[in-house]
Amino acid sequence: MTEEEVAMEMEAVEAVYGEECVILDSYPPHLHLHIMPRTAEISSQQFVEAVVSIQAGSKYPDEPPRISLIESKGLDAQRQKHLMDIVQAKASQLSSSLMLVELCEEAVERLTIMNHPDGDCPLCLYPLFPEDGESKQMPFMKLMSCFHCFHCECIIRWWNWIHTQKEADSKSGDTKHMYRETSDQEGNSGSVDKSMGNCPVCRKVFHAVDIEHVLDLVGAQSSQQDSGLVQGEDKDPLLQSDSEKIRREWFEAILRTQEEKGGLVQPKKNISVVPGMYLPPPPPASSSSGQTQEQGEVEPKEAESETNSSSSTNRRGRGRGRGWGHNVNRRKQNSQDPRKPTMQWVQRS
Amino acid sequence: MTSSSSPSRKALSKIACNRLQKELSEWQVNPPTGFKHKVTDNLQKWVIEVIGAPGTLYANETYQLQVDFPEHYPMEAPQVIFIPPAPLHPHIYSNGHICLDILYDSWSPAMTVSSVCISLLSMLSSSPTKQRPTDNDRYVKKCKNGRSPKETRWWFHDDKV
Repeated sequence: MTEEEVAMEMEAVEAVYGEECVILDSYPPHLHLHIMPRTAEISSQQFVEAVVSIQAGSKYPDEPPRISLIESKGLDAQRQKHLMDIVQAKASQLSSSLMLVELCEEAVERLTIMNHPDGDCPLCLYPLFPEDGESKQMPFMKLMSCFHCFHCECIIRWWNWIHTQKEADSKSGDTKHMYRETSDQEGNSGSVDKSMGNCPVCRKVFHAVDIEHVLDLVGAQSSQQDSGLVQGEDKDPLLQSDSEKIRREWFEAILRTQEEKGGLVQPKKNISVVPGMYLPPPPPASSSSGQTQEQGEVEPKEAESETNSSSSTNRRGRGRGRGWGHNVNRRKQNSQDPRKPTMQWVQRS
Repeated sequence: MTSSSSPSRKALSKIACNRLQKELSEWQVNPPTGFKHKVTDNLQKWVIEVIGAPGTLYANETYQLQVDFPEHYPMEAPQVIFIPPAPLHPHIYSNGHICLDILYDSWSPAMTVSSVCISLLSMLSSSPTKQRPTDNDRYVKKCKNGRSPKETRWWFHDDKV
């Protein structure tokens, strides 16, 4: 094979893969290929991804190129090795013919076969896909930034927990972490930006919106009851987000209706969960919410008017009232629910 | 951290129980190298034997770790201490308290007893000298009232050991 033929092959690779292909050297060929499974047009169905390096020597194609993995998502060490072994074997098999495009295709093909989440939920340690056929399949989700997968319930429980902690810390004036703030800015533990989180597995930063759709899902299944450990509610994390603005506008609209009709309006159930809402904590035993708790039917009103006052005027002593009122409301609506998710959880033991 | 100060007083939640049973059964199948779980009937308090890795300052030495799990494990970190006598190490106090960020601020619920053990052994193995932390006496005195290391405001300054 002449250098010219190899150069033409490289052009072909470039034409096929476009931006997914980075040519580091045109001769001897050295390229990085970003591969995604073929089923991945829908990003929610994509669970794996990789960047593969194909590096040939001057004796290419008589000597097969070296295949290595630059980075990957959603593949554990075993699957990484498996992928590389297969492509490398293919290279040896095709030795002495121009093979770059074929190798790339093989890699994509194999990755497509591996396009499923693998292993256990890192939080509860039970399989994402129960294989015994007896355990109940629990919905799971994937963080878009790193492709780590979790049971929806597990990640939401964790998300609510860390926000509860942040609130508890700020409420109690706990200065425990005060003098660590500066060293924490790399986002090691509690990330400073409340609209962000860190993956529990790799600490990679993700956006709160990644989790919000899961929150909706879990909320829709009204798994509130199982969040017994949630002691508080997100006060700060999403206050500035768009979803929170929408929520506020919605409450204000309700309030207007309420004023017009001169009575109380129950929020419609089908819109009771919107992004930015959080699973309701048990109402606090103390002060501001005591009143709302006892009012039964009137709770929604309490929630709405507080929302309104807190967003339009000052929040003074009732700063926390908005959250609590809203939560009480949600809790009421779901109180007759048969604790489905809790059951799910228990069944797995 | 509201409930972290009394890690072992409250019973484990159902979720914590499930998770610990799972961890224990996985430990039994595949224990981390250099560690032995001492069997007790108490899921909430594990005692683990650590054997110093060969070729390190702690080779052939045996220590005992005590791991107490809080009600909301794994959301909350377990309390991990050495049962004295604790190994001589720049990050381990003579009362057994361990200065290691993953046990406190950097805890993540994706960590397990097993992964914590591996981190601890790595911390031991990378120690260049057998010595106590410089503020050992002061710190140990402050903990005389039985304070948990989780109440300490740790300052993780040294990432080399």
